[in-house]
Amino acid sequence: MSDETFITLLVASVAVGLFVVASVSVPNFFQPLTMLNLVTNNWAVISLGVGVTFLLVSGNFDLSVGGVVALSGVLAVWFAQSPDGANPLSTGLGFPTWLAIVCALGGALAIGGLNAFFVVRLSVPSIIVTLGTMMVARGIAQVITQGSQRNTNLPDDFGMLGNLTMFGTSVKLPVVLMVILVVVAVFIEKKTVFGRLTYWAGENAVAARLSGIDTAKHVTYLYLFSAAIAGTVGILLASEFKSGFSNRGTLMEFDALVIALLGGVAIAGGFGSVVGMFFGALILAVVTSAATGMILSPDWQFILKAIAVFLAITTQTWALAWRHR
Amino acid sequence: MTVMSHISVQHPASTTRGDHVARFLRNYYIYFVLVAVVVVLSVANLDRFDLFERGNFLNPSNIINILRVSAPLLTLAGAFTLLMVSGYIDLSVGSAMSLSAVVYALLAINGVPFLAAFGITILVGVGLGAINGFLVARLKITPVIATLITLSLYKGVALLLVQDGVSAIKSGGGLSMPGWFNSYGREGVLVGLPMAFWVAVLVTIVLVIAQDRTLLGKYAAATGGNPTAAKLSGINTTRIVFLLYVIVGVSAALAGIARSSFMSLGDPLSGDGMELSAILVVLLGGTAFSGGEGRVLRSFVGALIIMALTVGMLTLVPAYYQTLVLGSALLAAAASNHLISRKEKAS
Repeated sequence: MSDETFITLLVASVAVGLFVVASVSVPNFFQPLTMLNLVTNNWAVISLGVGVTFLLVSGNFDLSVGGVVALSGVLAVWFAQSPDGANPLSTGLGFPTWLAIVCALGGALAIGGLNAFFVVRLSVPSIIVTLGTMMVARGIAQVITQGSQRNTNLPDDFGMLGNLTMFGTSVKLPVVLMVILVVVAVFIEKKTVFGRLTYWAGENAVAARLSGIDTAKHVTYLYLFSAAIAGTVGILLASEFKSGFSNRGTLMEFDALVIALLGGVAIAGGFGSVVGMFFGALILAVVTSAATGMILSPDWQFILKAIAVFLAITTQTWALAWRHR
Repeated sequence: MTVMSHISVQHPASTTRGDHVARFLRNYYIYFVLVAVVVVLSVANLDRFDLFERGNFLNPSNIINILRVSAPLLTLAGAFTLLMVSGYIDLSVGSAMSLSAVVYALLAINGVPFLAAFGITILVGVGLGAINGFLVARLKITPVIATLITLSLYKGVALLLVQDGVSAIKSGGGLSMPGWFNSYGREGVLVGLPMAFWVAVLVTIVLVIAQDRTLLGKYAAATGGNPTAAKLSGINTTRIVFLLYVIVGVSAALAGIARSSFMSLGDPLSGDGMELSAILVVLLGGTAFSGGEGRVLRSFVGALIIMALTVGMLTLVPAYYQTLVLGSALLAAAASNHLISRKEKAS
């Protein structure tokens, strides 16, 4: 069993263990709806977590995803709004919905390209670049919405994608897309050359480059990939609420990072998995919803998050050291 | 980029004229940027060319106002520089600042006198910095993760200290803020500037001396330049890093006091985003993000530039342009740092 499988199993058993504890101690926790909600309420962060995990494995941060979520949502709404609004915030460009979505995705990819340019070409540390692009992306969203939101004068079909329910249940399209994304990502990670190269690039960038791997191109693809996911999430959220809100996705970049860390992804690169990240998200979901169930004030979530990450990091370090003793 | 090139004052005699120009630019460009920002903001605001009239950027009351608002960032810039020079980072400064602001306001509103409240809050800052130092230096958790953990932790504690249904610690519910509370951040004591600003200046002077004249500065640069070499030459890097986190914690507490006093309330969100501003001013000041190089004073000037820009910009464009401008400034500073350091490596 590789270290990675070991850590993933550890994370999964912690998630299950916490779930059992929560089911026993929190009233009304052990219900099918609660279990379903643990996943469905977190589709956005889990989706972002996929791109962030791949980048972390390759040794790079992406803190821009929250900003991209806001930007692409605002852009999609602005492009789709009809051009005959009564005031500036209800006047858009009047694109048909499909074109608005494509153009908004283009905007998201531009931020991904900017990330790649600064990280790969100028070799500026990714944490600083993506903090900058986070502000730039959110900044553009704020300028377009004049610091608030655009939610009027939208075509009717704009709200369709985000609210489409699937298979006659209450599960919405974004959740299904998230599941597909996770499955595809696991396949890419485990079974394709691209996935394995990501690990090589993160494990030892110099060795990877010397063995003829174009790490620059690889990391560029990963940033575009992550921005495309974040852009899609932003558009789906904009469609769900029929609004482009410039503060949407605030702190999502930190949550995506947190679930990846909880899931055993190493910040130094070369180690971690999408499955681990998924269970990391479940840990966070169980902890926060159990806290809400026990009627703790919502302010507790920050402290619980801190404790969870601290325990995850120290346990994983300790477990690996114990394994290699 | 070696440690020696940073510490030594003499340069090899073989340097060409071009090198001198480059070095001069690198050492003093920040002052040119400051002047340029001030000139642009002044001229852009002009209806007529009477620079010092009321309503223009260079109007004394406007300058005083900007410097008053800047006190928290000016306080933080120096300590954050030393930390980044040693190759470490603290993402929790914003939360530490909020928590200190809440503690300070809580003490003041419950009748604790000024000096005691001030002292206790500083001690809280020492504690917050020590927790960061412990996680990073002792437990060897990556700085980004460790301070992300405390970012969340300090923010949570700050929010919990403020009771439900209230957004901040402020007068009301039978308690009221003492009269002295906002004089620290607002009332001019010397050339119209308040205590908070002079404390920021004092902190900066102390840290400039610490960087230039004490072992702390040399060891911080050595730790950032080459941690292994520093350790092998007998420097206790663990202790240096711990100490630097404590200094940042104290600065964050002072910044929190300044902000809290200026706003007359203890807002648990008042420090949000401060870590971004701190990183921005330190990079603007030319500190290398890989560690080993950077000057306290230049970051102080960087903070002045950013505050002049944020406040001055409000007269030119609507407030919602701020995030975009600051983000672009951060990217520009990061890119120019890179170009400068690449040129030096090449030469």
